[in-house]
Amino acid sequence: MERILQQDSTALETLYDRYGRPVYSLVLRISQHPASAEEIVQDVFLQLWRSADRFQISRGPLEPWLFTMARNRALDFLRLKREKQRRREDSDSDILPAAVVRPDPEGDIDRSRRAEKIRALLSSLPETQRRAIELAFFEGLSHSEIAAATGEALGTVKSWIRGGLLRLRESLGEASS
Amino acid sequence: MNCEQLAALYEEYALGVLEGEERAELEAHLARACPTCTPGVAQARWVVAQLALAAPDAQPPASLRGKIMDAVKPSADADAARTVVAIEKPKPSAQRAMFPAWAWIAAAALALVTGYTIRQMNTQNDQLALLRKEMKLASAQNQALQNQLDTDRMVASIMLSPDSMPLKLMPTDKNMPMVHAYWHPHMGVAITADQMPAWPSARTLQLWFVPKTGKPVSIAIFHPDAAGQIALVAPVNMPRNEIAALAVTDEPAGGSPQPTTTPAWVAQVN
Repeated sequence: MERILQQDSTALETLYDRYGRPVYSLVLRISQHPASAEEIVQDVFLQLWRSADRFQISRGPLEPWLFTMARNRALDFLRLKREKQRRREDSDSDILPAAVVRPDPEGDIDRSRRAEKIRALLSSLPETQRRAIELAFFEGLSHSEIAAATGEALGTVKSWIRGGLLRLRESLGEASS
Repeated sequence: MNCEQLAALYEEYALGVLEGEERAELEAHLARACPTCTPGVAQARWVVAQLALAAPDAQPPASLRGKIMDAVKPSADADAARTVVAIEKPKPSAQRAMFPAWAWIAAAALALVTGYTIRQMNTQNDQLALLRKEMKLASAQNQALQNQLDTDRMVASIMLSPDSMPLKLMPTDKNMPMVHAYWHPHMGVAITADQMPAWPSARTLQLWFVPKTGKPVSIAIFHPDAAGQIALVAPVNMPRNEIAALAVTDEPAGGSPQPTTTPAWVAQVN
């Protein structure tokens, strides 16, 4: 980050090589729209370049900061798209091609281990609980929106999400301690 | 609601699903920089961000990297373009034209005026450069103060977090003060010390994680400040149960890939 603060573009290349793929995967999962995902990822890295002074290493690791920024941008896109659909009942013709989704043999080992852990944890949850967490994280829905989408009581949805997140916290806590 | 009750809501807040009174209660704690909830929510943001890794792996288009790098290089390209334009300006003809005497006098007068103007402009440019230099220095000092303030806040958050584990790095030289470390699984390792002697500028202190197996891993290099204090936060890049000890060695300025001296401070972790 120090090198990015000094506007060293090779440092940005290094960061992109390390985080470009997981950030793109996240944004594509949320947006379901490759062209938009590309624009959002570009925007996220340019934002990092322009606002490096707002992020300092003392504030914690870069990865969650990047993931959070990418998720927020992708959810903004999703909300805008939903709003347009509500107004014009438009549908996107540019659907996700299956060819772009493939395994990551060169991925960062630590990240791969965490990814496996997260996927295993989500898989171990009951289908309804997993679905509720995915709707919240990948589609940005609130408790009440999830209750409406799943037809479950608001209290049940809250309980599912809270329970799932606490398990996630415990699982990641074990991994890092 | 007290901090203990709010702790169960940190992840929901970080996920963005918390609504109504619960959200308002937690935000009130954050607004007054609550020493329990602030690091708690920071940790929850890390936990929730990990859900990103559940997204199906996808390869970004190869062209994306180039687009990003092109977008951050326009200023460099513009400088290069200006240089090219300057180089490619047509040069005046080397062949001397025939002029009458009055034209030579006028040209000499013009040259004198031009010379004077250029000298004035150079003086003004020098003054402007000096002002810019002073502004840059003031800006750097301001940034350094802000960075130190942020670091001090982070150190305080880690020290006050119930999830942090305190460690004492004992000096091998009894005349040296003790160095304290606070291990937080997500926010990092905070290192603090007082009454440190002035450290030579040609040397630096280097913090290492000593794993149970394998070579020590460099975590940070640092100097005591003018008041003999150390306050820094280093990232945690290794699970705690894989680390045998924390150690600080004295190394040449810039640090070393592996320790070159006996550790001056050591704390056993596991």
